[in-house]
Amino acid sequence: MTAEAGGDGGGRAVLGELRLILARITGDDELLGLAAEMPLFGDGVGLDSLTGTLLLREVQRQFGVDVAAEDLNLDSLATLGTLAAFIAAPR
Amino acid sequence: MIKCVIWDIDNTLLDGIYLESGQQRPGVDPELAGVLGELAGRGIVHALASKNPPEAADYVARTTRLDFAAAECGWGRKSDAVRRIIGDLGIAPDAVAFVDDDLFERAEVAAAIPEVMVLAPEDAAEAASWPEFSPPVVTDEARRRGAMYAQRRRRQEEARAFAGSRDEFLRHAGTRVRVGPAGPADLPRLHELSVRTHQFNSGAEPVSEAVLGELLASPRHQVIAVRLSDRFGDDGIVGAAVAETGEAAETGEAAETGEAAGTGESASWSVPVLMMSCRALGRGVIDALLAWLCQRAARAGAAELRVPCLVTERNVPLRIALTGAGFRAGAGARDSDEAAGAGGAPQAVFTRRLSGKLPVLPDWAAGRAPEPPGSAEAEPGSADAEPGSSVTGEPA
Repeated sequence: MTAEAGGDGGGRAVLGELRLILARITGDDELLGLAAEMPLFGDGVGLDSLTGTLLLREVQRQFGVDVAAEDLNLDSLATLGTLAAFIAAPR
Repeated sequence: MIKCVIWDIDNTLLDGIYLESGQQRPGVDPELAGVLGELAGRGIVHALASKNPPEAADYVARTTRLDFAAAECGWGRKSDAVRRIIGDLGIAPDAVAFVDDDLFERAEVAAAIPEVMVLAPEDAAEAASWPEFSPPVVTDEARRRGAMYAQRRRRQEEARAFAGSRDEFLRHAGTRVRVGPAGPADLPRLHELSVRTHQFNSGAEPVSEAVLGELLASPRHQVIAVRLSDRFGDDGIVGAAVAETGEAAETGEAAETGEAAGTGESASWSVPVLMMSCRALGRGVIDALLAWLCQRAARAGAAELRVPCLVTERNVPLRIALTGAGFRAGAGARDSDEAAGAGGAPQAVFTRRLSGKLPVLPDWAAGRAPEPPGSAEAEPGSADAEPGSSVTGEPA
């Protein structure tokens, strides 16, 4: 867990929020313990277009970051760590 | 074009007031009963918004023997009820008509949601003859739309009560996604999808039946339809794609020689049309379709699969599916921002290399155990053999 986004307290707080959001969207409380480097797509978490859209909507609501507008490839959705880093990045 | 009519109950659909009628409940206004049936036959769905207990909605559904896609009963603002129905059904406010006998309710909704067409019951009786209520194409899927929304409600209720992951629920529900070649009789539905879908549509312009017919006849193209069903009901065709296969891909030489990858166009399949109904959202359909396309293209010798896609706020769900399936908006895609697509939205080409591990169809999609890559068309195999006849929404 050394790759926590931002490496500072802010990034860590964002990660915690993202875990809460993800657990709420999927209804899977085990995701509250999801590692920051676990892939969100595929076998990792199984994020799909529905849960992914809900996640981005919540991110926009809570953090004011429109990920879909800023990240064409949605690379930031690779892991919770990349998403937290994207949110915490200065803009 | 109106897709949904939201009806008040008291003194609108009913000849009287539900709660004040005692033992003898009022009947359904005979003229409006005819309108309800006529519009349902055209694929327009009905919903209820009433200041009544929920039993009133059940009573109306029983009496009219119609499926109501949504029912909002309560004592809040009518405009809030209308908004909830619009959100529930995922339709645009300007595709909604609201019918109420009460002048104040009509004014409240009209002021709060100006896009909604607001009608008095006596206007609604005539509305069936208006162009807004007369879709040019009425497909089998459209006629069953009301029933499908009712099925969806039952599916969602059971999903909420289900203890387990989404995949486990899809398996539990007996979800079947069948991907295969489209036939001529599918074209009206494919055209309708191109008109009605936005969240999962890579383009902006509807594709006419004539153009779809040409693509179907073209040896360089494959027109693909996706059917969805589970034990709650049969949704018929919910998605489609057109693949431009190119000559090298046709012969399969590209992969054999290993050189064609560098020659560009000939070694790639392109997908100029990709769309899915948002009714199928969260049921693995778009992922199954993308996996199928990747596997088919790889087997035909293509080195990559390209999906030109508008980048809009509305089709973010499609971009998420593309990212999840390993597509990338290649280097230089940002430049194409300048070359705005139809409607002014920037376009990017999402590309997936077809080497290495390909996305696979979820095992529940075929209603059985995991399959080896490439065998997915075992389901629509009959369609392969007889492209012209495999076209009804009938489950296999």
